[in-house]
Amino acid sequence: MLSWPAKPDVVGASTTRIDAPAKVTGAAKYPSDVQPGGWLYGMIYRSRWPAAHVTRVNIDKARQVPGIKAAVVEREGERTVRFYGEELAAVAGVSKQACLDALRAIVVEATPLPFVVKEEMAKNPDSPRVWTDAPNLADPNVKEKGDVDKAFAEAAAVVEGFFTTPVQVHHPLETHGNTVSVTNDGVTCWASTQGIFSVRDGLASYLDVSQEKVRVLTDYMGGGFGAKFGPGAEGGLAARLSQVAGAPVKLMLTRFDQSLAVGNRPSSFQRIRLGASADGKLVGFDMDAFGTAGIGAGTASAGGGGGAGFPAPYIYAVPNIRVKQASVAINAGQGRAFRAPGHPVASFGMESILDELAVKLKMDPVEIRLKNDPSKVRQHEYQIGAERFGWKQKYKPPGSSLGPVKVGVGCAGATWGGGGRGSQADAQINPDGSVEVRCGTQDLGTGTRTLVAVVAAEVFGLRLEQITARIGDTQFPPSGASGGSTTAASVSPAVFDACTNALQKLQQATGVTDARGANWAGACKKLGVNPLTAHGEWQEGLSSSGVGGVQFAEVEVDTETGFVKVRKVLCVQDCGLVVNKLTCETLINGGIIMGMGYALYEERVMDSTTGVVLNPNFETYKLPNFADVPDIEVILMEMPERGVIGVGEPCTIPTASAIANAVANALGVRVSSLPITPARVLAALGKALKPGASV
Amino acid sequence: MNSFQYVSPHTVDSAVSLVADHGRFLAGGNDLLGEMKEYIASPKLLVNVKDLPATRDISVGATSWTIGANVTVSEIEAHVELKRAFPGLQQAAAEVGSPQIRNVATVGGNLAQHSRCWYYRHRDIQCLKRGGSTCYAREGENKYHSLFTGNPCISPVVSNLAIALAALDAKVTVRRGKDEVALTIPDFYAKAWDNPEAHHSLGPTDLILRVQIPDDGRTSAYKQISEKASFDWALVSCAAAAKVDGSKLSKVRVVLGAVAPVPYQVQAAHEFLEGKELNDDVATRAAEIILKDAVPLEDNGYKVPIAQALIRRTLKQLVG
Repeated sequence: MLSWPAKPDVVGASTTRIDAPAKVTGAAKYPSDVQPGGWLYGMIYRSRWPAAHVTRVNIDKARQVPGIKAAVVEREGERTVRFYGEELAAVAGVSKQACLDALRAIVVEATPLPFVVKEEMAKNPDSPRVWTDAPNLADPNVKEKGDVDKAFAEAAAVVEGFFTTPVQVHHPLETHGNTVSVTNDGVTCWASTQGIFSVRDGLASYLDVSQEKVRVLTDYMGGGFGAKFGPGAEGGLAARLSQVAGAPVKLMLTRFDQSLAVGNRPSSFQRIRLGASADGKLVGFDMDAFGTAGIGAGTASAGGGGGAGFPAPYIYAVPNIRVKQASVAINAGQGRAFRAPGHPVASFGMESILDELAVKLKMDPVEIRLKNDPSKVRQHEYQIGAERFGWKQKYKPPGSSLGPVKVGVGCAGATWGGGGRGSQADAQINPDGSVEVRCGTQDLGTGTRTLVAVVAAEVFGLRLEQITARIGDTQFPPSGASGGSTTAASVSPAVFDACTNALQKLQQATGVTDARGANWAGACKKLGVNPLTAHGEWQEGLSSSGVGGVQFAEVEVDTETGFVKVRKVLCVQDCGLVVNKLTCETLINGGIIMGMGYALYEERVMDSTTGVVLNPNFETYKLPNFADVPDIEVILMEMPERGVIGVGEPCTIPTASAIANAVANALGVRVSSLPITPARVLAALGKALKPGASV
Repeated sequence: MNSFQYVSPHTVDSAVSLVADHGRFLAGGNDLLGEMKEYIASPKLLVNVKDLPATRDISVGATSWTIGANVTVSEIEAHVELKRAFPGLQQAAAEVGSPQIRNVATVGGNLAQHSRCWYYRHRDIQCLKRGGSTCYAREGENKYHSLFTGNPCISPVVSNLAIALAALDAKVTVRRGKDEVALTIPDFYAKAWDNPEAHHSLGPTDLILRVQIPDDGRTSAYKQISEKASFDWALVSCAAAAKVDGSKLSKVRVVLGAVAPVPYQVQAAHEFLEGKELNDDVATRAAEIILKDAVPLEDNGYKVPIAQALIRRTLKQLVG
């Protein structure tokens, strides 16, 4: 069985991305940048009704707009639309303005239908139905273990809380979209995707052509976070427009579109009771929860569900539990997998109620976690983290800091898989000593291209610049979609196997017993004129699954204005064998910043009267800026013996919970809804005026 | 956006005659181009006013400073002498948008910008401010909206500079027809108080030329609270100016932003503060007077404590 070198040279070091110069100079071409000859702009016409019966979508006038080369309806015949923003038609033309003009020339005949966009209203049996054949509120999933009622009756302390989390929109910096060229010879698609093969298969099926006729290219892409697996409605429409126009069509969504129709993290409303014995041992957990994934969980959900369910009581072992979880449909865009689907939602409710219990029992929050968290790894991480963070010095009873600006600390833990699965790679050694490694994976921005080069450089004893890593092409050996933090653990073993095989072949062919490093050029020269190629596949033993991770947060809260400033986040993350320390740490920085956005800023706001998303832009859908980012410290708990494990998701799970716990510790009262805005802080403090009240 | 023609006149006379009924003046464009992209505004003609003479200077005279309408917000932010004279104005400028926006945004544009209400700005909502029949925010999502208004629309004024300039008793010189008129900041926004479709008092052919700030020995301060640390609109802003003698205040102005369709000030508070030694009780009482008539809605009642805190803190900053 293959194993990683015990003392690696390149693997585990901090390696600057090999494509960093291309990215910062703009030489890197993203799917939004490619401009194949004769390309056209594409745009989508979307429903302006949150619910309507559509009898006709008339695109005749759109076709006549100067510069328009194609217009198609999304679906023939009458139909029902169920959210503001649902795709109805698309146009392609020589300029963006021509497309905009054409969209305004489309005439839709429709009868508006009643709709509902707020979860708590949608639950009501009298509410308008999103789907006529089923009530909005689905039958709950029920999970029961032990005797909860007895446990609560006997518990020394019982706390109860109601926690809510908002719908969070993925909003990768590069919006969803593709540039698609459909010809008689085949289909080429430059896709902003997390899965080039899933886009290939989706397009092949959509166009009814064989999969080998479709080539998907993703040299670079600007983020996905779980919402970019298949070609999407936008990919299918671009392909049809290209067919009609006989030219490549670039259809990248606008930020407005992005806010409506291509995925989100479902909301949650969690009523939780938690009981413990006098020594802080959890004895009972009772939860009644619901949330919305819009009109339903999305289809493009590889890498985790996009549904409203989530694990409960999350990472804790509680002997007696009763969990009721239901999904409620509303007239809004569908949920999709979103970076650690379900986990930040689960973590927020559970870690919040756990801190409430600690307060009631007058226990230290770290102590109560050490007592109830069954993971030895996380227990160790809490100890390392608490020491480094200065927890014992910083933790004070809730609300006890003096003055209007109060300081608080909090912590929370996470769990994730991150294991690998089938991936293949080819390594080619050229007679001049240059190396090409090909793998049909894609780089979401995590540094996958660099990871491929690092593993190859390690095996061959070469410098990184001697390796050319080629990824993002379905003509390369297949690799899985990048979801579930699986990419590093899938790709690294396959590349390691391919390179190891290539090295053996080289040594056999040339008789050089160790062709690595200094002997490399001489050995390669002996190949003569024919390059050597070896195939590799994902192998057992080079990767594993299952990580924890804990985070500590320190905040200051201005109790007069409600403003929350995060001073510090410390993350202790177990991570198996680290391939590239630098990109591992920056990945975790990103996860923490995203978790901070979830904690303090992000929330899709729907309007009950009109059914629209009110904040379809970065002006009012608020994301962290550099000025908001705290001091972030990442401690990697490396366990190289476990092989490679992905950590893209666990690092974003506990951030919001740790921040929320820190805010509660600062204030002495809890803000039990995310995001924790000044409005919510002041409301929790009882300072916000109620409607009609006077000063 | 819809297609339009573009002209670049070199005199104020021709700018005003060109803009006529269907045109719009274009300076930095942050606000207007955004409205055009959303089809909220579709002018047939854009009249570039950036090339008009004598609109890009900051100058000091015997009793006042003059800031041209085309001076950028970042120029105000960076101007050392202006900062010394009017620290509140510099602080207000520094909180506008991002560096990129401040580099393009002009004084005139900042004052004349339109509502940022998310109903008003939505391409598919014809709200009261856009000539429709309903203010959707009243019964809808109103956490960013006004505590005070004289009309059914509850979208607040969001110009940072207006708040600081109101405290400084600045006047805005506007070309109106053949005349130049000097409007106080209250005059400049008065129409927005009772007319739901108005963002300010300017007519479509009124052109802002410059702002004059009396240099009367008062000091000034500005503070705002947003949801984020930077590049975010104020939830509430507050500017204050006063002559300070020890901790004794005179000629006091306290103005709130983002709580009303106009920069909000209360004469009774100014009278109360006149001649007072500033202390916590005085500041708190001033805040009470200013906020007395606040009408909190479903989601914006939190603005009251923020305004109270900002009034206290801004006054305190005046005294140093």
